Amino acid sequence: MTRLAIAINLDRCTGCNTCAMACKMQNNVPMGMAWNRVLNEDCEFEVGVQGVYPNISRSHLPVACQHCENPACMRVCPTGATYKDEKGRVEIDYDKCIGCRMCMAACPYNARVFNWNEPVRDPDFNYGDKDVPVRPKGVAEKCTLCKERTDRGDEPMCVRCCLSKARVFGDLDDPESEISTVLRERNAGVLLEEQGTRPQVHYFN
Amino acid sequence: MGTSTKFKAVAGVLGALTVAGIAAWIYQLMNGLGVTGMNNGTSWGLYITCFMFFVGLSAGGLIVASSASVFHVAEYKKVALPAVILSTVCICCAGMFVLIDLGGIQRVWRIVTGPNPASPLFWDICVITLYLVINVVYLYFMKSKKPGAQDKVAIVSRFALPVAILVHSVTAWIFGLEMAKEGWYSAIMAPLFVVSAMDSGLALLLLSLMGLNKSGTFKVEKKLISNLAGLLAACIAVDGFFVGCEALTMAYPGAAGAEMLAIMATGATAPFFWFEIVVGVLVPFCILVFARNRARMGLVAAASVCVVVGVFFKRVWLLLTSFVVPNVAGAPGIISGSSSAAHAGGVDVWAITSSYAPTWVEITVAVGVVSLGVLAFMLLSKKLLSKAPQSVSAGEAAEGGIAAKAV
Repeated sequence: MTRLAIAINLDRCTGCNTCAMACKMQNNVPMGMAWNRVLNEDCEFEVGVQGVYPNISRSHLPVACQHCENPACMRVCPTGATYKDEKGRVEIDYDKCIGCRMCMAACPYNARVFNWNEPVRDPDFNYGDKDVPVRPKGVAEKCTLCKERTDRGDEPMCVRCCLSKARVFGDLDDPESEISTVLRERNAGVLLEEQGTRPQVHYFN
Repeated sequence: MGTSTKFKAVAGVLGALTVAGIAAWIYQLMNGLGVTGMNNGTSWGLYITCFMFFVGLSAGGLIVASSASVFHVAEYKKVALPAVILSTVCICCAGMFVLIDLGGIQRVWRIVTGPNPASPLFWDICVITLYLVINVVYLYFMKSKKPGAQDKVAIVSRFALPVAILVHSVTAWIFGLEMAKEGWYSAIMAPLFVVSAMDSGLALLLLSLMGLNKSGTFKVEKKLISNLAGLLAACIAVDGFFVGCEALTMAYPGAAGAEMLAIMATGATAPFFWFEIVVGVLVPFCILVFARNRARMGLVAAASVCVVVGVFFKRVWLLLTSFVVPNVAGAPGIISGSSSAAHAGGVDVWAITSSYAPTWVEITVAVGVVSLGVLAFMLLSKKLLSKAPQSVSAGEAAEGGIAAKAV
């Protein structure tokens, strides 16, 4: 078996949002939507800090689809449009999506975005990878773990573009892989463990 | 009763509202669900609220009708026919709201060709279809003049009662099985939905019976109305009890549930919550708990209106509270994705906490569906009730006439 995943080093993350932008370009994500976002934890403002000067800190949390082993979104999808593929990625078959948004209610991470309108792009053309399907209005979408790139043997675009090399991509089922080593040796965890979704995306520092 | 001018006028207005609703729906189909107030944070809104509400209204009517046969409650048999008509109309409205809410209705056949049996929405579609079929069969046998039709009514009612309870439980499970939403994930969801269905459905049945009585389409004894109002009082009490149980369980540990309750009690959905508790539960219960008040039709009608509106408000807070705060919090929050966001810039497209307000399109569509439902109920009751064997009601009418003369 293969279980492709990303592990993110939160100590290295500077909150620069390059991963979010790279994702948007690669995956042809329309305006007003994002598959990958970087949260400034415990802050009300993107530029905010925790604590009172001079005792302040700041921590960033990049959030996208967690590619769960027990995906809540897949369980509730009435048409099976959301599925777990042979490489352990959670994917959406846009031809089967009826736009009921059960998955959006079920995902604890708010990882999904919906095509509420005919997608708007600025600049006004499909700027994404040529292999990435263009989604119509009325379907849900989310991080595909760069299915098109990872199928070709490349890393996801967020991993490729991360300036501080905070992201590690690999196969959790390969004990020799860098990601497996990192998870074994470092203090790694998952988001909202109590939800029982068993995310494949891990965070470590 | 002939087709009076008043009937025509009301039907005309409802027809016009229906046409407006259809026009708004076509506008929504052309432009996408972005014309609604829904967004990535609050991904369900008025349509799903109305869906829950109408499934409930429907189940209430059928529970009364079928318990008449199942438990041999002779008095209720008289109102079984209008109750089943009401139930049929309401379940059709509920189904329409689900379909209207879909972003890709042109692919809806995928549910038939490749269903996911684990999805509560798939269960709901199955059970609603079954329920509609049972309603129609029920109506058919009740109107049938063939010998033995009444026995078949008794048989159908034995299926109708559990399916009526199931249809509302499954609707509850669409929400109650989602662990990600703190305010939904609760085993009390199904019982709460069933009892809300019974009180709002009964209240609507009472209002419809009074309306039919007034229009002269169908005669109902005051005693029966008072009797049903007593049952309504009991359902309201159970409803209030369940809400109380849930609120205490949420509040007590002072953890995530308490935060959710704070939004309900003092936050964005507080007006709906308190309206439901006061106007939807306390006021009608205090009215109907006294037998003297149950004999006064005006008070019964007022209490029924309170219950129906209160249960609608309950659907609002039940659905929307859980969308307000995302589980993984932090700035800038969730990207809205709505129409305005597609053209907005900077931080305007993000929201730390999610908010929602229906747009004119959603309201017009919802009003259209409700108008179509009322219109269908008026026409069906005119067609089915006036030709009903009226031995009882004819006698009553005569009595009424004598009483009128005496006065």
